[in-house]
Amino acid sequence: MSAKGGVGKSVISSLLAIALSRDHDTLLVDLDIHTMALPKLFGYDGVLHEVSKEGIIPFRIAQKLKLLTLGGVVKGRTVILPGRNQERVMESLLGTGAIKEDVIVFDLPPGLGDEILVLEKVTDFLPLVVTNPSTLSVRVVEYLLKYLEEKGKNPLLIVNMSFMKCGSEVIRPFGSLNEQVSRRGLQIVELPMDETLNRFVGKIQEYRGNLLDEMYKLSSIINERMR
Amino acid sequence: MHEWSIADAVVRTVEDMMEGREGRVSKIVLGVPRISFLDVEILIEAFDELKKNTSLSDSRLEVNIREPSFTCQRCGFVFHLNDIKSQVDDLRSEFGEEYPLHLIPMLGPSFLTCPHCGSHDISGNDDIVVERVEIESTVKPS
Repeated sequence: MSAKGGVGKSVISSLLAIALSRDHDTLLVDLDIHTMALPKLFGYDGVLHEVSKEGIIPFRIAQKLKLLTLGGVVKGRTVILPGRNQERVMESLLGTGAIKEDVIVFDLPPGLGDEILVLEKVTDFLPLVVTNPSTLSVRVVEYLLKYLEEKGKNPLLIVNMSFMKCGSEVIRPFGSLNEQVSRRGLQIVELPMDETLNRFVGKIQEYRGNLLDEMYKLSSIINERMR
Repeated sequence: MHEWSIADAVVRTVEDMMEGREGRVSKIVLGVPRISFLDVEILIEAFDELKKNTSLSDSRLEVNIREPSFTCQRCGFVFHLNDIKSQVDDLRSEFGEEYPLHLIPMLGPSFLTCPHCGSHDISGNDDIVVERVEIESTVKPS
């Protein structure tokens, strides 16, 4: 989740779900009901979910990885909904989805909207808050961190696009993380930039680059926190 | 096919509701908007199958098909299913079995517009809800 758009929530949730599915039956749920990046990342754009007696059947991406998205109900059509309908559409997607997995990764839209209220209603969860190191993103994300702290949550802060390696040199194009956030005492995970990712839009399940290695490390941290 | 998952959701919802409560459920009234085009016969058949071996095994499901009345939040026009019949028919023919309002009726405003001004900002009683649960006491009078 993030209060800021464009920081890489969907890519990170996808790669994290891929990493978690090495050891667990994992379901990736797309709660970004308006823009639905996940079917685009996995190559399921315009594909409809099948429906069985058990409900909406998530797409099977790999042996232990499935994807549930509103995109699989509306077939790539634009979803424009009055606020009052949004929460109930998300709940219906979760309520009618045939969900059996041990681990669920939710990809949320940016902001502090209905999706957080829905998540609070349906399950306890470990928040992974995504930002990039830019001053504006960090300042916007602080609203969310503050809210989660008020709710007694202890989020993991993922700082995406933190650095890139050029030979032995580490370059930080957005600078270092704002000190104010560092002082909050959160567990922080910095992720590198990988320009090859763009080539995997539509087949992200085939990506084997350095971000995936970082996701295996992140999944160990999550396993530890969830224990 | 979606009728089965609705029936399953009804069984789970009412069983959760009854947890820790006295009494036996005799009847459940489910409100279903006509725009979802759910098949009532299949819905009841699915419920009767899924209630077996649950605390609802003696109950029966009654389905109340509601005629939705929509209000446009932009121009205030009040309209009914008949007024948007062609929009609904187009949608059903495009999606066939997987008609999205069959699965999630609350998606209505994404696919339908006010026949007067064309706005998507429409509201109506368009969700599937458990309207009533009738419970018989299992406590014998002393």
